[in-house]
Amino acid sequence: MSLCLNRLTEERKQWRRDHPFGFFAKPMRNSAGMLDLKKWECGVPGKAKTLWEGGLFKLEVTFPEEYPTKPPKCRFVPPLFHPNVYPSGTVCLSILNEEEGWRPAITIKEILLGIQSLLDEPNPESPAQADAFNLYKRDKTAYQKKIRQVVKENPAP
Amino acid sequence: MDSENEYNSSQMSDDGFMEDSDVDMDDGECLLFAAVLSESDFEVEEEDDVGFETQDKDIKPTKHAYEVDFNVFSPADIHAQQDKQIAETSSILEQPPEATAILLRHSRWNKEKLVEAYLERREEVLEEAGLGEEVQKHPPKVMKVPGFVCDICCDDDEDMETFAMKCGHRFCVDCYKRYLRTKIKDEGEAARIRCPGDKCNRIVDSKSLDLLLPPDLRDRYNELINRTYVDDKENLKWCPAPNCVYAVDCKIKDRELMRIVPTVHCNCGHYFCFGCTLNDHQPAPCALVKKWMKKCEDDSETANWISANTKECPKCHSTIEKNGGCNHMTCRKCRNEFCWMCMGVWSEHGTAWYNCNRYEEKSGHDARDAQARSRQSLERYLHYYNRYANHEQSAKLDKDIYLKTEKKMTQLQNSTGMSWIEVQFLDAASQALQQCRQTLKWTYAFAYYLARNNLTEIFEDNQKDLEMAVENLSEMFEKPIDQLKGLKRDMLDKTAYCNKRRIILLDDTATNLKDGEFSCAFGMMGFNVTLP
Repeated sequence: MSLCLNRLTEERKQWRRDHPFGFFAKPMRNSAGMLDLKKWECGVPGKAKTLWEGGLFKLEVTFPEEYPTKPPKCRFVPPLFHPNVYPSGTVCLSILNEEEGWRPAITIKEILLGIQSLLDEPNPESPAQADAFNLYKRDKTAYQKKIRQVVKENPAP
Repeated sequence: MDSENEYNSSQMSDDGFMEDSDVDMDDGECLLFAAVLSESDFEVEEEDDVGFETQDKDIKPTKHAYEVDFNVFSPADIHAQQDKQIAETSSILEQPPEATAILLRHSRWNKEKLVEAYLERREEVLEEAGLGEEVQKHPPKVMKVPGFVCDICCDDDEDMETFAMKCGHRFCVDCYKRYLRTKIKDEGEAARIRCPGDKCNRIVDSKSLDLLLPPDLRDRYNELINRTYVDDKENLKWCPAPNCVYAVDCKIKDRELMRIVPTVHCNCGHYFCFGCTLNDHQPAPCALVKKWMKKCEDDSETANWISANTKECPKCHSTIEKNGGCNHMTCRKCRNEFCWMCMGVWSEHGTAWYNCNRYEEKSGHDARDAQARSRQSLERYLHYYNRYANHEQSAKLDKDIYLKTEKKMTQLQNSTGMSWIEVQFLDAASQALQQCRQTLKWTYAFAYYLARNNLTEIFEDNQKDLEMAVENLSEMFEKPIDQLKGLKRDMLDKTAYCNKRRIILLDDTATNLKDGEFSCAFGMMGFNVTLP
């Protein structure tokens, strides 16, 4: 088996054995109804005691053939209102950037935990969408109100 | 190799001094000259840095104002320089060469700063560079660890070889190697590759790399390491010519670029500006070149179109394109009615409806005058742009000319029985043409930004002289083969004249530029202000 699939199988085992509370991550089925290990459906809950508490945000994580040498691509479906999320839903995060913080030893667990931290700690140095970034920069109260609404639209079960 | 040497010396012969130098100089001088010509052709000692400059001055008694001092280094020279600096610093810091290399690269080859910081806060500096404690006592080694599972491939084979640096992040050797391969091959990283472990900032040191790097990656790695040295050093730059391996050392600082145009000549034959690494753009300074190119990108085509297809309303100066209909125009903005032909007021046309045959009536004349004035700046720009573009176009055809020259040279040898050396005048003429056109091109960009005064007039006279010389030579160059033989003397003279005119122009301009004598059109002094 290829390194990529071998590693993903192993990660799936590890995740089923143990994973952080409130998260979920599982390989998706392709059109033929077969499990596709290179495409995962994940959920990241908002951290307790932050604006994002009570929300659950769904992501599609796509692994390239070169995984784990190269990082996977993480996309919020539907796209999320957040300064570091592109209009397409793709997450802009240093550990997901091959030339920045990506290391082959990072697993899906670390990625999802990283994304969870990003929710409440946006990085103003690398804005990815104008709407959320401008509101975050100019009007914190309006931004917070908008986030509460986003959380309400994506409630945790 | 022979032809390349010939090329170099013919390029250099424009300062008159170097001609035939390799033939009739005595041995001692010949050696000195060789050192400047090309290091790859003649092996030169390692400590070239100091020796070079003095030699340069010795053999060039009269340096022109537009020339700057520079040295060209081969990859071997660069490597040797690095090794020398590493050895020196290593003895000061009392660190092994591998660790010193990492420290130096980490501090971007700023030796003084590194030594100072190291003496003040040793632990911190080592930590920042990813060295932690000494690598010396426990050299890195590959080993087998029972019960080990690799975090990257999740393999737990008993016989698996594993590796970890001081940070303790252990992975199997295959994964480590794969990681290094991606970093080196795909990302071009070399000096600052970090441990594959999550959030670990430890840099993979050269001892570990020696242990792990597959042989096919070593060359690439060394090349990349060399690159960071040149990239980090302010006074070193790569020659931008395709496939060129040389780096050029020049002491000109960024802030001097307003007054000096540092054109350097690489051993590969390429002339480029050390300031901006664009092709040689003397006599125009870098900042002006940048402005001009931007302006041309933005404006030239639009301006050409506006000039060719539109006129301005004589009253409100809105730009109007006539896309059909008769000569009776009504400005959509100010409702002014005028005649498209003479630009005069329409009411004065009386009964001459739709057929303007009037000449020199006052209102039409005034309107055209006003129009002319407002179009003047556009025309002025286009004047310079068209001449600039013309020379650029000719410069682009240079390659054709050069190829044609080679053909002509062989034809001439066959038809007239002249020897190879006797037809070299054609090659020299072609070289001169190329170089002069390049210079002329930039004189027009330069002149666009000049205010009208005596100095500018002198500059334009020089420009005119050079242009005439170039056109004369260019015309001769086009003559059929059978006439060329008789023109040899004349062409040699014209070539020498062109080169001389070019040197005079560059010399004069460079001197004035250095002294800050030029003043800029658009009401500003100096070139370090925002130009339109």
